[in-house]
Amino acid sequence: MKDGPMKKQSWPKKNVDVCIRCATCMAVCPVSRVTSKFPGPKQAGPGAERFRRMGEPSVDDWIDLCIGCHLCDMVCSSGVNISELNLLAKAKYLDEKGRPFRDWLLTHSYLYGWVGSFLSPFVNFLFRNSMIRWVGEAILKIDRRRKLPDYEPSTFRQWFKKHRSQVHQIKEGDHPPFKKKGKEGFEHHFMERKKVGYFYGCYMNTNEVDVGRATVQVLEVNGFEVILPLQKCCGIPMLGNGNFKGARKMACYNVPSLLKTIVSGSDIIFSSTSCGHMIKHEYSHLLSIPRADEVALHLFDIFEFLRNLKELNGLDTHFKELPLKAAYFAPCHLRALGIGLPALEILRLIPGLTLDNIEADCCGMGGTFGFKKEKYEISEEIGRDLAEVIDRLKPEIILSDCEGCRMQIRHLTGLKVSHPIQILRDALLPETKFTL
Amino acid sequence: MNPCILEPLKERMHFDLIVIGMGLSGLMAAKTATEIGQKTLIIGKGMGSLCLFSNTIDVLGQLPNGIKMKDGLSHWIKDYPGHPYAKVGVEKIENALSSFLSLFPPPYPFQTIDHRNCLLPTGAGTFRPTYLIPITMVGGSLIKEGQTLFVGFKGFKDFYAQYVADQLKCRGVTLPLPNTSYEMTAIALSRLMEIKSFRENIGQEIKKHLRHETQVGFPAFLGLNHPIQVKENLEEMMGAQVFEIPILPPSIPGKRIFNRFKEWLIQKGVTFSLGSSVSKVITKGKRCEGIEVFHPPVTTSFFADRFILATGRFIGGGLRADREKVFEPICHLPVHQPRSREDWFEKNFFAGHSQPIHQAGILTDLSLRPVNERGDQILENVWISGTILANHHCIDEKSREGIEIATGYMAAKQASGIST
Repeated sequence: MKDGPMKKQSWPKKNVDVCIRCATCMAVCPVSRVTSKFPGPKQAGPGAERFRRMGEPSVDDWIDLCIGCHLCDMVCSSGVNISELNLLAKAKYLDEKGRPFRDWLLTHSYLYGWVGSFLSPFVNFLFRNSMIRWVGEAILKIDRRRKLPDYEPSTFRQWFKKHRSQVHQIKEGDHPPFKKKGKEGFEHHFMERKKVGYFYGCYMNTNEVDVGRATVQVLEVNGFEVILPLQKCCGIPMLGNGNFKGARKMACYNVPSLLKTIVSGSDIIFSSTSCGHMIKHEYSHLLSIPRADEVALHLFDIFEFLRNLKELNGLDTHFKELPLKAAYFAPCHLRALGIGLPALEILRLIPGLTLDNIEADCCGMGGTFGFKKEKYEISEEIGRDLAEVIDRLKPEIILSDCEGCRMQIRHLTGLKVSHPIQILRDALLPETKFTL
Repeated sequence: MNPCILEPLKERMHFDLIVIGMGLSGLMAAKTATEIGQKTLIIGKGMGSLCLFSNTIDVLGQLPNGIKMKDGLSHWIKDYPGHPYAKVGVEKIENALSSFLSLFPPPYPFQTIDHRNCLLPTGAGTFRPTYLIPITMVGGSLIKEGQTLFVGFKGFKDFYAQYVADQLKCRGVTLPLPNTSYEMTAIALSRLMEIKSFRENIGQEIKKHLRHETQVGFPAFLGLNHPIQVKENLEEMMGAQVFEIPILPPSIPGKRIFNRFKEWLIQKGVTFSLGSSVSKVITKGKRCEGIEVFHPPVTTSFFADRFILATGRFIGGGLRADREKVFEPICHLPVHQPRSREDWFEKNFFAGHSQPIHQAGILTDLSLRPVNERGDQILENVWISGTILANHHCIDEKSREGIEIATGYMAAKQASGIST
């Protein structure tokens, strides 16, 4: 491969000795900013690493407080992969200490999500019941102040199946599914369209179906046919909880399946930046999954993909006016992708939409971090800084690419929070009417 | 593997200008280019040294006391024609500083004390000359014996009030922090200072310790976002003037500068990529065509018409050294440096003058384009800015931020085709 990845051995897993102790990472760590229980990335990463020995027990019981945001990696001029050091140490610590059933429950939602969806009215009722939440906190140590996300009555996969058959029916009647306005270059007929694979992620599938719906609709308007490669949870909840074995299992399922789609000529897009970051950057190096680097080359964030289309003048920009005051928050894992803020760039093309960028470091949710009783207060405290910025901006709606961030912002502000793709869809499709 | 549609498409990510480096110089270059209307990408491996050294804006701290900066710079340029300032010229240095100042309107403006260097106290209890200072530090330039109370906190290791106070013949007090069992960091304290109840406790506690002092000096952590609100609120509570003292890294005032640039650039639509390491530049003859960014395991290319290299010195990663020589790792530009390793340092480390290694850097022509020792141009569409430039001793001259701002500004003007 000519422009392929750099040789792996040139990128060490542990490069503590290049740390010059400059403390720039201390200026951005969201956790050490709000609690003195965590000593911060400089100490927790390269500092403590020098005292860690294989075969000797862990001494750093605070390592579990690293939220895994990667902000320290991003600001380090010496290129120390601090959060990776933390993750390895966390895994070792939790291997020794043992993981509560709660952690298993929080990281295996892909196993029971369909039940939640099937019994959604009942499950949602239970989740809202304060008695149940009290019991959940007492037994499972899931903080009762944290609202558990509602399940949707039908999954994204179910919607997609129905949607596909509808689209095919239209095709048979010789009507293109969406009329392409302007520019030539894209096929009108569905079957001849360029295919693009979609890694949708388990949370969206059962809890935020409209995000997937919007992603599919936007891609179809732009002349693509969306296909769904076989997929399981990307494994980031497990990895975040130091469960390398479980995460590797997920990755070993996903990589061959995504590769199959790629080899057949399609790229893969994702709408959840955490899933995307996991597959693109953690599978290959941290988990050493064979051929994960090939998947990474063909994996794109949905807005990165649309921005690429725009560069090629292939993006449908016939947006209708959307008079709305929105604020955008870039998730940590999006920033860690190193692609800039493509959602912001694309959404700025929508007439009438006022869009502020929320200048804050981290939302504090950290995936499953914010659910845990012993971490809830840290999570909320981190989020408070973000909520304060939102309070000053006074937006009607908040946009963020990550489900964890959306969950946390909803929890802290009570405002409507969407994925930016939903707004783009609203501006693009004539039939949807935006309602707050 | 079959070709995928976005492979060729991805290659087309094209900009007018790519700025490599996210320190003060790179940020300044990106701002200047954006104002001219250039489609800009700024890419940085890390935050540079803004959050390390920079609290105030040094321009030329080495000048003798009392000299107006403009006059001092004019003389300096005459005496050191190879210095980066000589390439920019006094007028453009002024323009660059004005441009920087325009980014910081009230309530957090920077100012000079009568267009001369002023002396500010440091965390070591010494005085240090500097030029543009944030309004939160102005009080420090007015210290009088016995008139200032210095405040430190138990568990905060980066500032010892008593030590500073002894040096400056004033009093110091170290306060216990409520509800903290471990040590505290500057960033955590700066956040706490922005919480009203915490601040009020601190203010009331200090008031008890005040005798006849008219000023209270704090380590520079009076809030990351609203330092003025913190300062004014404390002043009101204590009835004394409050000021900040620059301390050890990380620098909260430096982070305020970084955050403001970041906010402005993103708002103006600049593509802002922090944490991305440029692994290679793509050149064709004397032209640079693009950069490759290696984010394991993916290598992404970005293309542009023009480039600014503002990667800093050893700490920023712009210069690196092996056992024999200093080299520039991205563009592989020749580095002007002492002949051999033995000449890097003076025999006596405390000789009282600058170490020769600090003068190492990239040589440029008058327009800041890189040249070799003979003066031949190496790349025609690359400009160099910031401390990576050769022929300055920013540490001894106390000129770091001035060089960064002035050359960042000038490089962007040159690269955008608007010079003189």
